[in-house]
Amino acid sequence: MQRVAYYTGCLAALSAKELNTSTKALAPKLGLELVELESVTCCGAGDIHEAEPDYYLHLNARILAYAEETGCETLMTICNVCTLNLRQANWQLKNDEELRARVNQNLETVGVPPYSGNVDVRHLLWLIAEGDGYERLKEAAHKGLKGLRIAPFYGCQILRPSKILGFEDPDRPWSLEAIIQACGGEPIDYPAKIKCCGFPIIQAREEVALSELIQPIEQAQEAGADAMVTPCPLCHLSLDAWQLKLRKATGKDFQMPILHLSQLIGVAAGLEESELKFKRHVVSVDPVTSKLEV
Amino acid sequence: MDAPEWACLLDVLDLIKDKHDGTLAYRKSCRMMICGSCGMRMDGRAVLACKERMKPIVDAGHVPVISAMGNMPVLKDLVVDMSPFWGKIRSVKPWLDPGYDEVAEKERIVSQQQMNVIHKEALCIMCGCCVSECNSMEADPDFMGPAALAKGFRFVGDARDQADVERLNTLNEEHGIWDCTRCYFCNERCPKGVDPRDAIAKLGAESVKQGVDHDMGAKHAKWFIRSTETTGWLRETELVPKTQGIIEAIKQTGFALKLARKGKVPPPFPPHVAADVKEARALRELVGEQGRDGALGIVQGEHALGRIEFTEEAGARENAPEIQPGVEPPPAEG
Ligand code: SF4
Ligand code: SF4
Ligand code: FES
Repeated sequence: MQRVAYYTGCLAALSAKELNTSTKALAPKLGLELVELESVTCCGAGDIHEAEPDYYLHLNARILAYAEETGCETLMTICNVCTLNLRQANWQLKNDEELRARVNQNLETVGVPPYSGNVDVRHLLWLIAEGDGYERLKEAAHKGLKGLRIAPFYGCQILRPSKILGFEDPDRPWSLEAIIQACGGEPIDYPAKIKCCGFPIIQAREEVALSELIQPIEQAQEAGADAMVTPCPLCHLSLDAWQLKLRKATGKDFQMPILHLSQLIGVAAGLEESELKFKRHVVSVDPVTSKLEV
Repeated sequence: MDAPEWACLLDVLDLIKDKHDGTLAYRKSCRMMICGSCGMRMDGRAVLACKERMKPIVDAGHVPVISAMGNMPVLKDLVVDMSPFWGKIRSVKPWLDPGYDEVAEKERIVSQQQMNVIHKEALCIMCGCCVSECNSMEADPDFMGPAALAKGFRFVGDARDQADVERLNTLNEEHGIWDCTRCYFCNERCPKGVDPRDAIAKLGAESVKQGVDHDMGAKHAKWFIRSTETTGWLRETELVPKTQGIIEAIKQTGFALKLARKGKVPPPFPPHVAADVKEARALRELVGEQGRDGALGIVQGEHALGRIEFTEEAGARENAPEIQPGVEPPPAEG
């Protein structure tokens, strides 16, 4: 078992509870012991980085400090935006002693342990796409996906900027495809898999966001996908819930089931509905589950 | 076609034009990454032709596809019409407005520290690579886009410029900074390390600092701050009314009800509160007094980020499982 500090982020604790329950149920099967963090807050999404960047840095330093306190070397994230925010802050703190000293002094003033820079932030996707994690994944996914055609959707902030994320080639990523194959599904290829789902501006600029959102859904549908899978709960919310608005705006009958990464693997690993919680999805996942039952 | 080992993409294009097809059209001038003329796509990625070495590509046995940049109309072959690009650059008034007309008697010295604030943005060579794959511009051709917005910060952040509030008001308009969807293609593509997305974040931070926060984007951002101070986690259900206003939120009721039925609208009471959230509140108060507000909050981290080598973590790829999803993946369209 690998002990990792577990950062849920906001959505998995709120509107995407199904991501949290499925991740927790799946982790032991993948050899991951999740150490939950009590005192951490939101990472600020792109929003606090854009509005009050110094506060963003301190908020993320505080998360990293509490993760370090658990003694785990890895802080596991399950959201693209959390991954970028935490990794960006982590790089800054690790590579600039002066900056770290100032931030630590502030942390200590308010009663937070200082951060010494010993945590590595990694998304669940990266922990299981290669090496030991990948081997365990192949074992865990014993039920398979019966050749289901799955469209991987990466989203932005797990690929770009690659100098901060750097796990794979941002223009030719392979990790989701590897996982889909290991689970017994067939990865579908389409150009928009590395593009934006529109979520960051879906409230402030809905029309622009919807013209972004339509691309991956339409392309995946045309390529004959049974479902899409994403490592990001924000992409999930946009692809799943805003698909309703897309239907209304375009008059097209989109019916694309959207799975969280942990749910896709969860299905192949035989998790229960009480852990997968497909009922919480806006677009029905029934076509997928019934294909698997046949 | 034979080319010397040191050849870059531009050299190869010159050879093709010279020996095979004199009609091939592309732009070039300096051959050394400073004029910004030779932007084009290689395998779907916007690059400077004079920066891309061809040997590693040839060694890998790969045949790259060369095409024109995206988000701009193609005139011929690899030449795009940059006039919308220049129009947007012009719209940010890319000249200094020092707030006085008289010629100073003595030289006015700007400190290195003050110049560091706009160091990255000043590196821009206006090649258009960042615009080529900009997802927001693809969805909204009127979006000012990464290059013009980075240019905007180059003047907002300039210690000698007196028009920053006026500039910020313009940049906050429709099609301005809050249209950016944070896809980070611009940072990924820029051959000069300008990181336009970061420049946009700096403009957002300056806007909030200077009280130019009427846009829904700014309100959205401020609600995240309020959330972290009160419950620690995003107060998701209140985000719509706080961003769009009560009236708009009521118009969205039908949509909200559909989501609510699926548990996607978590009730705000009892709130989901992080332990020790008062620490976050105290931190915000503390840093608020330390003068690293606005764009400086981002600038302070650039020293460390500048040290990142792309290869540092990418080494992990070597032992990646060997899979070939599909046969040949389609070129990234951006
Ligand atoms: S920001 Fe970078 S990519 Fe964009 S125009 Fe300037 S130099 Fe070119
Ligand atoms: S981050 Fe913003 S400006 Fe940059 S390419 Fe994406 S949408 Fe365009
Ligand atoms: S020819 Fe000048 S930048 Fe390439």
